[in-house]
Amino acid sequence: MEQATSGWRRTVNLLAIVFIAFLLLPSLIVVPMSFGNSDQIIFPPKGFSVRMFEKYFSDSGWIAATLLSLRVAIWTTVLSVCLGVPAAYALVRGRFPGRRVLALFLLTPIMVPSVVLALAFYVFYFRIDLTQGELRLVLAHCVATLPFIIVTAAAGIQGTDPNIERAAMVMGAGRLYVFRTVTVPLVMPSIIAGALFTFLISFDEIIISLFVARAGDTTLPVKMFSSLVFEVSPVLAAISTMLTFLSAAICIVIALVQKGEDPK
Amino acid sequence: MKPETLEQLRTAAFALPAALFMLVMMAVPLGSVIAQSLSDETGFSLSAYAKIAQSDLFLRVTISTLQIAIGGTVVALLLGYPIAYFLAKQPPRRRAVWMILILIPFWTSALVKSFAFTVLLGHAGIINTLLGDIGLGPYKLLFNRIGVMVGMSHFLVPFMVFPILTNLTGQPPELAKAASIMGAGKLRIFLTVTLPLSLPGVVSGALLVFILALGFYIVPKLLGGRQDVMLSSLVDFYARELIDWQVSSAIAVILMIAALIAAVLLAQIRGGASILSKEAS
Repeated sequence: MEQATSGWRRTVNLLAIVFIAFLLLPSLIVVPMSFGNSDQIIFPPKGFSVRMFEKYFSDSGWIAATLLSLRVAIWTTVLSVCLGVPAAYALVRGRFPGRRVLALFLLTPIMVPSVVLALAFYVFYFRIDLTQGELRLVLAHCVATLPFIIVTAAAGIQGTDPNIERAAMVMGAGRLYVFRTVTVPLVMPSIIAGALFTFLISFDEIIISLFVARAGDTTLPVKMFSSLVFEVSPVLAAISTMLTFLSAAICIVIALVQKGEDPK
Repeated sequence: MKPETLEQLRTAAFALPAALFMLVMMAVPLGSVIAQSLSDETGFSLSAYAKIAQSDLFLRVTISTLQIAIGGTVVALLLGYPIAYFLAKQPPRRRAVWMILILIPFWTSALVKSFAFTVLLGHAGIINTLLGDIGLGPYKLLFNRIGVMVGMSHFLVPFMVFPILTNLTGQPPELAKAASIMGAGKLRIFLTVTLPLSLPGVVSGALLVFILALGFYIVPKLLGGRQDVMLSSLVDFYARELIDWQVSSAIAVILMIAALIAAVLLAQIRGGASILSKEAS
């Protein structure tokens, strides 16, 4: 009996570790691949070189795409945080009628397939004749990311004691002042985590960008996508490695930031 | 006005900018997609829906979308459950480390993953090379259903792990302990206590994954073949290739309704009131 039970446990552990390895597989192979020495993209790689990285950094098209994605992600993050954090505050602290409907409304983009949103922006921008390339991307990305910052910030606000705010208000501080000087500093770890998520979602966003980016405004994912469809360039391996490190770094920062939040 | 009501209005006002933004940037565009699907040059018309109801292409793509989405959900469950169970059994500190290993692929761009899988699954890829070494293959693993399922389940597994893990760690440990004192083996405890109790987590994970799977675009496009076109590609095809916005919108509306039905079911399971808090945990 004892043997059977530990056998069960061992089987489950083994399965789980194999499956986790499967999840990590793509991240694990792109890194060595990008340091390969040939112009072909192969795994396992042959030799060692940084040629693919040199190619990336010397190609103005890839650099321009990266910079555009960076600008769009930064603006999206700023706008999303400014809209999302106060909204999360209202949803958590408010007891007004229609609060649940409002929450569902603001979280709708999570539930709508990206391609539907993409089509909606595509048609809408045509109707209102919005042609400014970066603005088209930022506004659309902001819709897609807002639910995530709201959810992350709401979780943080739920973890704080409303009595601290109440105390400040009893002392005569206005609500906006209390929000700025008490609530926001208290939930800063959640806001930072949410902002990093937002940045990453926008930086990696592909489906909406494919629809709304105009011919001249190729974001990094859009350029990667067309390279994957039309002609696989070795530069992709270098970019994939950098993106993997970016994701890993953001994950670790968020884990650290949220750990610092735990003791409360 | 009572001071309390005024106070509530002041709190509600914090959501005003976001609500206005979403109204203009999300509700209006989505609304106009719905309106567009219901009108042609002359006004109200169901012709777009009539057109797709009779279209063999639409029927074929709907079937493959459902096949891929259901298949992806099942595979994600088969992979995700053991991972969640394994994580739930770890002490909190070690669990946090394992979680990072799940979160890294979760936050890795779908393009990076698809790129990696093109290399892994290709004709001269490592899988076929290894199979060749033991005298098998080469098999066609890419640009067909196998490629889509691999890429898709890889993307979906973490979405399955999180709700199941939340459920498993929320189960009172006393239950399993009681069963164990009564003489039940680990397998029996799992089958009669843990698994039935975890079903809400499984169902909400499965619904979430199914919603996501319905709207897949990148993975079937990059790893699939001609037989693996999904509805999202069809939306794109009608919108940007054929410039038939009416039909494109109609397909988008159908996709949206399917996702919303799954979302409503999801909200019911999770308890509508706490959707925000549960989502965050």
